[in-house]
Formats: sequence, C-alpha cells, structure tokens
Amino acid sequence: MSGVTPSVATESERHPVDAALAARLAAIVGDRRVLFRPGELLAYSSDGLPGYLKQPSIAVFPGTRDEVIAVVRELARAGAPFVPRGAGTGLSGGALADGVVLLGLNRLSRILSIDAENAIAVVEPGVVNVALSRAVSAHGLHYAPDPSSQAACTIGGNVAENAGGPHCLKYGVTLNHVVALTVALPNGEVVTLGNAAGENDGYDLVGAFVGSEGCFGVALDVTVRLARNPQAVRTLLADFHSIDAGARAVSAIIASGLLPAALEMMDAGTIRAVEASIYAAGYPTDAAAVLLVELDGPIAGLDADVATVVRHCRDAGARDVRVARDEAERTKLWQGRKKAFGAMGRISSHLVVQDAVVPRTKLPQMLARVHDIAERYRVTVCNVFHAGDGNLHPNIGYDANDPDESARVHAAMREIMQACVDAGGTITGEHGVGIDKLPYMGAIFSEESLSAMCALREVFDPDRRANPGKVVPMHSCREWQMAPAARTGQH
Amino acid sequence: MRSGIDACVHCGFCLQSCPTYLTLEDENDSPRGRVLLMRSALEGTLAIDDPSLETHIDRCLGCRACETACPSGVPYGHLLEATRATMAEHRRLPFVARLILWTFARPASLTIAMALSRLLRATRIPVLLSRLKGRLGFAMAMLASTERSGMHGAYVARGDATRGTVAVLLGCVMEGLLGGANRATERTLVVNGYSLVDAPGQRCCGALHAHAGDLRGARELARANIVAFEGADSQFICVNAAGCGAMMKEYAHLLADEPEFAERAARVSARVRDVSELLVAAGPVAGATPVDATVTYDAPCHLLHAQRIADPPIAVLRAIPGLRLVPLAGAEHCCGAAGIYNLVEPDTSNAVLAPKLENIRATGAELVATGNPGCLMQIGAGLRRASIESRAVHPVELLDASYRSTARGAR
Repeated sequence: MSGVTPSVATESERHPVDAALAARLAAIVGDRRVLFRPGELLAYSSDGLPGYLKQPSIAVFPGTRDEVIAVVRELARAGAPFVPRGAGTGLSGGALADGVVLLGLNRLSRILSIDAENAIAVVEPGVVNVALSRAVSAHGLHYAPDPSSQAACTIGGNVAENAGGPHCLKYGVTLNHVVALTVALPNGEVVTLGNAAGENDGYDLVGAFVGSEGCFGVALDVTVRLARNPQAVRTLLADFHSIDAGARAVSAIIASGLLPAALEMMDAGTIRAVEASIYAAGYPTDAAAVLLVELDGPIAGLDADVATVVRHCRDAGARDVRVARDEAERTKLWQGRKKAFGAMGRISSHLVVQDAVVPRTKLPQMLARVHDIAERYRVTVCNVFHAGDGNLHPNIGYDANDPDESARVHAAMREIMQACVDAGGTITGEHGVGIDKLPYMGAIFSEESLSAMCALREVFDPDRRANPGKVVPMHSCREWQMAPAARTGQH
Repeated sequence: MRSGIDACVHCGFCLQSCPTYLTLEDENDSPRGRVLLMRSALEGTLAIDDPSLETHIDRCLGCRACETACPSGVPYGHLLEATRATMAEHRRLPFVARLILWTFARPASLTIAMALSRLLRATRIPVLLSRLKGRLGFAMAMLASTERSGMHGAYVARGDATRGTVAVLLGCVMEGLLGGANRATERTLVVNGYSLVDAPGQRCCGALHAHAGDLRGARELARANIVAFEGADSQFICVNAAGCGAMMKEYAHLLADEPEFAERAARVSARVRDVSELLVAAGPVAGATPVDATVTYDAPCHLLHAQRIADPPIAVLRAIPGLRLVPLAGAEHCCGAAGIYNLVEPDTSNAVLAPKLENIRATGAELVATGNPGCLMQIGAGLRRASIESRAVHPVELLDASYRSTARGAR
C-alpha cells in the first residue's frame, strides 16, 4: 500500500542525518546495526498501519540489554527524540518515526527464564508473542493475549499498545498478564516496576506503563503470567444470512451469562478475502456473517455450554452451526480469523483499518449504523471484530489515487468513529492511539483530561523525547512549545 | 508487478517466515522490507543501482516461504524475478554466477563440467579439501557429499504400467552428480505402475537463470524443454528436483508474453508433477525390504512454498518398512542453498544453514531426506563440515532401497 502521505522524501529534502550521533551509536551497537541511508530506512518508514510513510533519521538496533541502555543514554545526552519499535505490526502508527531516531528492539528476543510452577516467564521485549507460547507449551502453559498478529508481533510491542486479541474476552488483555517490568526511562535511568508476585506495592506503575505506547520508556525485560492450557476446548462456527442476526446471537450469548473464551464475527467481505487466501478456513462464502465461538474449561459441563451457544445461534436465525472436529480444523478456523486483516490486501490497493468499541448490547444498532454510513458515502466496509468485547474493526478498501473516493472513505470513517463515541463507546479497543487516532482524542477527552495525561507523561519523560507526537494531541500539552528537544522531532 | 506490490498491506506476518530476516534481524532483509524497496524502485524514488536495493535484493534466498505466510497473496517470487531482471539490465552478475549460468545453458559445456566434477570426486580430493574454510572448502564438501555409498543396486523394476506414461526431467546436477537418485526415480515410478518415455533434447530447466534475473536465458531453455517434452508426448512430466519442478510449473508464466509459446508452455506446465506426487497418486506401493534407519525430512522450499507440496514426500517415506521418521524442527525454513546463492552469498548462506544443522543434530537422525539437488548438497556439505553423523538423501532413494532386494514387481 502506498501512502496517503505518498512519497518518501529524497535525501536533499530531509534533515541532514546527525552523522556524529550515528557514529556514536555505531560505536555502541556496531556499524551494521545503524542505518541512515535513505534506501535502507524505507523498510522502517511504515509499520502495520496502511497509508503512512514517515522516514526516521537514523535506525539503531541494539542486540543486548546493555546496548539498549547505552543507546538510550546516548540519545539522552544528544537530546534526540526516539521511537521504540518491535516488529512493526502495530495498526495505529505508533512505531512511525518522523525524522527522528528509530530504536528497534527486535533483536532482544531471548526468553530469560520460565518458572513453570509459578506460571511466570521473564522475556526480552523482542520475543515474538507466539514464540513464548510455543516455548512454554511443553509445560501445559501458554501466554494468553493473542493479537491477530501474534505470529509476528513482539511482547514489547504488546506491552506498549496493551494489546488484546480474540481470547482477551475471557482471559484479559496484556495488562492483566504483565506483573513486572525493567524499564530504561528516556533519560537512561533503569527502574523496576511491579514485582514477580504480581502484587501492588504502592501505586500501580505497571498499569501506567502498559499501554503507554512507547512514551514512558523502553522495556528491557517483561515478567509475564502464563496461563494453564484448558482441559478442553470447543470451537464453533455459526453462519448467518444477515449481520443483524449474527449480532443478535452475540447479545444473546453474552446475556445468557456464558463467558466464551472468544467470540468473533466476520462479515461477507472479510469471509471472501480470507477464503481467497492461503488461510482459507472453509467459511461459507455465501454467508452474510459468521460467528467464531470458542468455549474452554473443565470438560465437565462444556458440552452443555456448547448446546447453549448452538441454541442461541439457531434462535437468532443461524443457518448452520458446526463444531470443529479436531485440533487441525480448529487451527484452520482460527488461522482464517487471525489473518483476516492481512487478507484485506486482496480487496483493493489501499485500506483504512479502524478500531473502536461500543457497549456490546448496542452491537446490532451500531452495525446497522455502520452499514448506513457506508451506503451514504458509497464505500465498502469489511467488518471483522471481537464481537464479545464490542470491539469493532471496520476496514474500508479504496483507491488512494482517486481523490473523491479517498475523501468519502475518510469522511465515512470519521462518522463511524463519532457514532461509536455517541453510542457510549470509545475510539480504540486494542490498536492504541498512535498517530492515527490523535484527531479523535478530543472527542472523548476534555482538555483537562488530556492535560493530565501530559502531566503523567512528564513524570516518565520530562523532555518528551520518547515517541514524540503520539497519543496526546500536542496542543493539549501547555508546555509543549517550551520543550525544544521534543520540537526538533516535529516537522 | 504493480498489482502484486499493491497487495502488500505491510502487516508483517511474513517476517518470522523469512530465513534472512531471522538470521540478519534487519527488515531490509525481510519480505516486507524488500517489497518496499521494490516499490520505491518501481516508482522511481529509489535508483535501480542504489546499493541498498542491490544488497538486500541480492541477499534474498528466493525461498518463497513468505508466500505461504502471506494472507494477501503477494506473488513475491514473481516480483523478485522481475526486479532482478530489471537490475540485471544495469549491472553484471558476479563472475561465479555468470560462469555457472553460461555453463548450464550449454549442453556441451554442462556435460564436460559434470564429467570433470565426477572425475574430481573420484580422486577423493574434495573429501580432503572439504574442511577448508571459505567458498572453496564448501564447494568441495558439496561435491564430496554427492558420493553415494552402497545404497543403490540396480534391480529390474516391474510394474503393471496402468498409471500412464511419464517422461522424466533428468536435470543438470541430478543427472551429472546424483544420477543414482534419477535411476531410483525411474525404478520407483515403474514399480508404481507408470511406464517411462524418453524426452530427448531436454535441457537445463532454466531455474538458476530465472532466479538470477537472466530471464532471456531462462526463456531460451524453457522453449527447448517445451519442444522436447511435447515430443515425448507423455501424460506426465516427472521432476525429482523441487527447484526444477517449480520452474517447469511456471513456464506458462515465464512465456506468457510469447504468442508462439504461451499456450504450449501452459500445456507442458500442466503435465509437470513432482515425483512424490506421482508416487502418492499410486499409493505408493509399500516397500518389501525394511530400511533400518532413523530419518528426518527437510522440506525443499521450492516444493513446500513454491509448489505447495507438503505431505506427499512424507507419505513416500511412510511407505518404507522399518524406517523411523522423526520430525525436524524448522523443516519449513530454507537451508540456504537457493540455487547458486551458497556460492555468491556464502556468509548469509552459512548463517541460514547453521540452525538447520543444529536442528538435524538434535533429531539424531542418520539420514536427512530432501528432494532437491541444491538442498542435498548444501545440507550434505554442512553435515560433513560440522562432523554430524548424518547424510542427505533423496526420499525416492530410500523407497527404491526398500523395493530393491526383492526385485519385486507390482501388486
């Protein structure tokens, strides 16, 4: 996807690379691990969010914890703003570095310790989410938060974004699974937040750090809780002739008091994209919507829960409900769902992805609203979302070279977001604010609240050099203009 | 090319499938990073001779593991070939690469090169030199690894010839250095009910040329093979080298713009089968003689990712009595052979090979089965140089061994 902000600046247009800084960073991490040639920075000029290209000035890739600390201190000495990056799979542009230093943490990918008895692991920030689950599977454990990008995204990135995932409906998001962190603050000071026992001793600073989107510092290691694998799992696929029927089934399942491990919905456009891909899962391509429901826990009683879900789906008008026969079919059903975002590339040359939350009881009305808005602006919305949480991901494919269509798409998106807010929801469920949601922050927070966020940020990063320009709109920070270090990061 | 690149939503799901990203830990050496480089070159924001483009495109193995990870269906292999072809217009390939491509494109020079290689192999000098550091030592170890020890013994294969006719692509390295695997292929096909037809005039498949960006050379070889295999008029074209099979299945794509050949190429491509596909379609007939060995299977990238053939080679191995098949961690990752990559990018190739060798060591297997000459020699050389007590063999060689001593006919 090329960008809404289209071309990458040529060398002459860009700020001159701070050659001295690059050399000092290279002295820490080695020449190969410092990139500053425009050609080599291309790969780091976007993350998972389509539509933006922002080129960093320098990209630096430490390989050890000590190197990270040394790099952060060097950046502090230089007063250089920086953006931490994991695998660059984020969907709010959180890892975009616009003319500032990009600090890649992907090389810190060691699992430092696994304590199976206490179900705790200590990992470096660059450990890939699914690699952790794989490493502990022999102990009958897994790492519960499972964002769709889990095959690629890193724990450090998950911490920054407080990542969710289908199974967070029952098991909670990243925050519920992080008990302690060692963090290099932007000034280079190393601090420990939380403790391995997972008890609050004083203010919940882990809670403040998880979800801080790289603005509070860089995690050097993360102590996470591991979850015991459930005794049994049942995965159901229900298909519906209308989105509304699917949404009513979701409401009915939740209202019945059941807590599924996951409750996901995909609409026709999404189903067709997935079924055309290598991850084809056998979803019915003539359905208006499918629900993917997972129930897990002790085997006793599980099948009664399955029967309840089947009944609610049928009552809502499901055409068919089937239960995955074995692990292979279950994996296939999940792979299709998890790769749905990637499969959107099949639909059109450009894509807007969105992330919003509504109270789940309002799901049927909200989906009808989304449909109306899309129709009014003549755009095609593909919905794929965590229905159980009321977390919507409306995606709109379009052609960015068509200015009229682009304008309609962005207007439709704004209206959809406003509708979610009006329904009592919010502007992000799990992707974070980054730069993509900045314009919507004012819709849910007062200036006072935003100002308070700035004050909190200042505790961790008084110079505001960590991930500048993200999360809180700049104008909300009264002192912003007075912080020259941060301003150099803004072009 | 444009639409192929546009399909990339840079979701990053390809990263962990890419051997060079896993090894070098730089997104410029990942599929997503390379697609961005290609896009910029295509849009003109990056010069075609920009060192960043050259370094990272050259460093791609072309294993296409990203294609079986990509939800969006980015045709990465085609994009890479097109990019390399454009780059080749502006620069000369390294000398080693040009020499190899020149040799393989000419039947006479290929015959001489292979004969000299066999001669050298017979002197046992490669065994002595196989521990030398660097490219020469590795090349010698590759040659030494092609020596077959006692697995082959000719027998008269008999079958009921009910499954149709097959012409076998003999290949360059396969016939030149691993002829035993070709004979095993022929015999196992016969035992499984196929009848063999000659295809005189066949040449190198052109894969090495296409992957290096020499599309003209690749097309010339493809046209010669189309004529040869049209002449053979067999129902199937059997290929036992994954890279060659992938290439022949793509002749239709390669010659899509040549009116005289486009349709003919499509018809030839449609007849191409990997040997494991043909054997599995016939059962395969179970072996009678037990093969008492612990074996692990390493998937050639151009079988698993390019041709998307995962299970048939394993079914072939399971048809062999006595054989103990143990799983290989990371079997879906490239071994670093990648045609002539191991000779032109030796450092990265070795770095990609290293975890493969460790995983093989961990299985304790005496034999590593893999159906591609490049992989056989790369893994064979790596095992030899790392002093791992294991050898690389083609799966059909093992099936053949289980058919051999009884010299049995079909059912």
